[in-house]
Amino acid sequence: MPIPLYGFLEGDMLGLLVFAEEVETVQELARKLQDAASIRVARNNDVELIYNGKTVDPALTVAQAGLQALDRFDVIWRHKV
Amino acid sequence: MLNRDEWLPLARKLDWDYTYVREDEVFPQVISGHPWLPHSEWKDWEESFKTSYREYVDNQYEKDMAVYAVRDAVSRLENIQKLAAPWLNSLKVHAAALPLAEFTGVIGSLRGARFGRDSAWRTMSTFGALDEYRHTQIPLLLFHQLVRWDSQFDWAHKFYHTNNWFAIAARHFFDELTLGQNAIEFAIGTNFVLETGFTNLQFVGLASLARESSDHMFERMVTSIQTDEARHAQIGHPVLEVLMKHDPEYVQYLLDKWFWRSWRTFSILTGVSTDYLTALEQRPYSFKEFMEEWIVDQYLRMLDEFGLKKPWYWNIFEDELEIYHHMIYASAYTYRATLWFDFVIPSPAERKWLRQKYPKYWDDMDAVWEQVIERWRTTGPGAANEFAVHGTAMPTFCDLCQLPLSGGSPRKNTANVLTRDGRKYIFCSEPCRWIFLREPERYANHKDLVKRVLSGEAPAEFTNLLTEYFQLTPDTWGKDVYHGAYDWLEAKKASVA
Repeated sequence: MPIPLYGFLEGDMLGLLVFAEEVETVQELARKLQDAASIRVARNNDVELIYNGKTVDPALTVAQAGLQALDRFDVIWRHKV
Repeated sequence: MLNRDEWLPLARKLDWDYTYVREDEVFPQVISGHPWLPHSEWKDWEESFKTSYREYVDNQYEKDMAVYAVRDAVSRLENIQKLAAPWLNSLKVHAAALPLAEFTGVIGSLRGARFGRDSAWRTMSTFGALDEYRHTQIPLLLFHQLVRWDSQFDWAHKFYHTNNWFAIAARHFFDELTLGQNAIEFAIGTNFVLETGFTNLQFVGLASLARESSDHMFERMVTSIQTDEARHAQIGHPVLEVLMKHDPEYVQYLLDKWFWRSWRTFSILTGVSTDYLTALEQRPYSFKEFMEEWIVDQYLRMLDEFGLKKPWYWNIFEDELEIYHHMIYASAYTYRATLWFDFVIPSPAERKWLRQKYPKYWDDMDAVWEQVIERWRTTGPGAANEFAVHGTAMPTFCDLCQLPLSGGSPRKNTANVLTRDGRKYIFCSEPCRWIFLREPERYANHKDLVKRVLSGEAPAEFTNLLTEYFQLTPDTWGKDVYHGAYDWLEAKKASVA
């Protein structure tokens, strides 16, 4: 059953509803949000997904990352140190 | 015979002490409002500008004749058809939002006319209700001739009766502010906050823009409405004066709540009209400049006059002056088919002006417009390509204000999630969350558009959402005014080739 999530892409104008499968990876989820926002924000490969204030390992699945229905996640541009 | 200044005080002050019923039976708190005070606390209620019924009728007659004169002189269809297309779309926004909102003001004013706590208050509210009938009927009259010419003006008349997302937000605002409201909160929320503050913005500012745009019909309409507004808006001040003696914390809460909610609604209506749908050479000021002159300074002076504090979220509001309506407009452009009017992309000259007026976040806004323009460049202009330059994912909305989650800035969206009684809510901003938590029993069972789609109450498929839920059609749903065929965009494409 897909999980509805509120996705916020850095640089975008509004939050978007994104449906995530529990088995898809966090990296795939981040790409999905970027695709959904592509009319307004150019795609960027160098991003990270933030959930509950922490960066999430992109290899984890949505289920492993603990994302629950109607949670907020953010995709931000990776800032170089 | 008494002269006017002698008999008017007698005619205004008509209350007596009840012997055969209790005062709270005549004025129950649930309808008259909190705090419940005996009439002795209200008997000195005094409006600044007094008028008799005869004076009211004479003045309103003159105003109506002036409106009809302008209608006859400049409001013929062929005059309207010559107005710039972006400005015409601003009129479509107002044709939808204004008339029935004013009618809700009739109902709220009539509650004041019966349940206001002093006879002078009730008399002013009676005139206020008559004003709001006028404010309903004038736009319906003046816009009616446009109905057969442009189907979007026709659609505007059913706006409030649809589940269009903006209609949901507008009903959420006006239902609470005016329809379901007690007389005291109506006086504070509508008369004091909305009318004394924001409708100055709406009507005086818009009249100025209309004049610059050579739209003398709309100019006369909003100017005429504003003259009534100035009279009945004064109801709020004397109500506030009494309340401040008895429950100043409650007053502060009402002001803070309604200022924020009014800001949200009007920044969209007026910000978009001022900074995007008025031609650049016809903009006398930016929306932010107008807000700073007409709203901010005046509102802060009024608060100071009553010994009230600035709202706790004032820094958030000041930052939003820089960005909120820009984020809303860019979002709405990319979801324009969900609305009933057409949009334009700001030209290079307009973006230069916007950068100058709004420097803080303009880099991020400009990047978004570049991306949208690039999409048109790639697909090519034309009506057939509208949906190729359109959002595909479901946008999301605040569980309080029902508006898009566009709070904060492009780099830092302030949407925040709350779990309460096993249910998740999301708010666009801290002030919306705060209002929800102050009155959760009022808001907790509302469903925003996303929750309606997820529960199956609204269709998930996009075209069905537009046609079945929003009741739009291919003729009426919003498009780019030029379908991407901008001179400056085509020129850039030619130089790339």
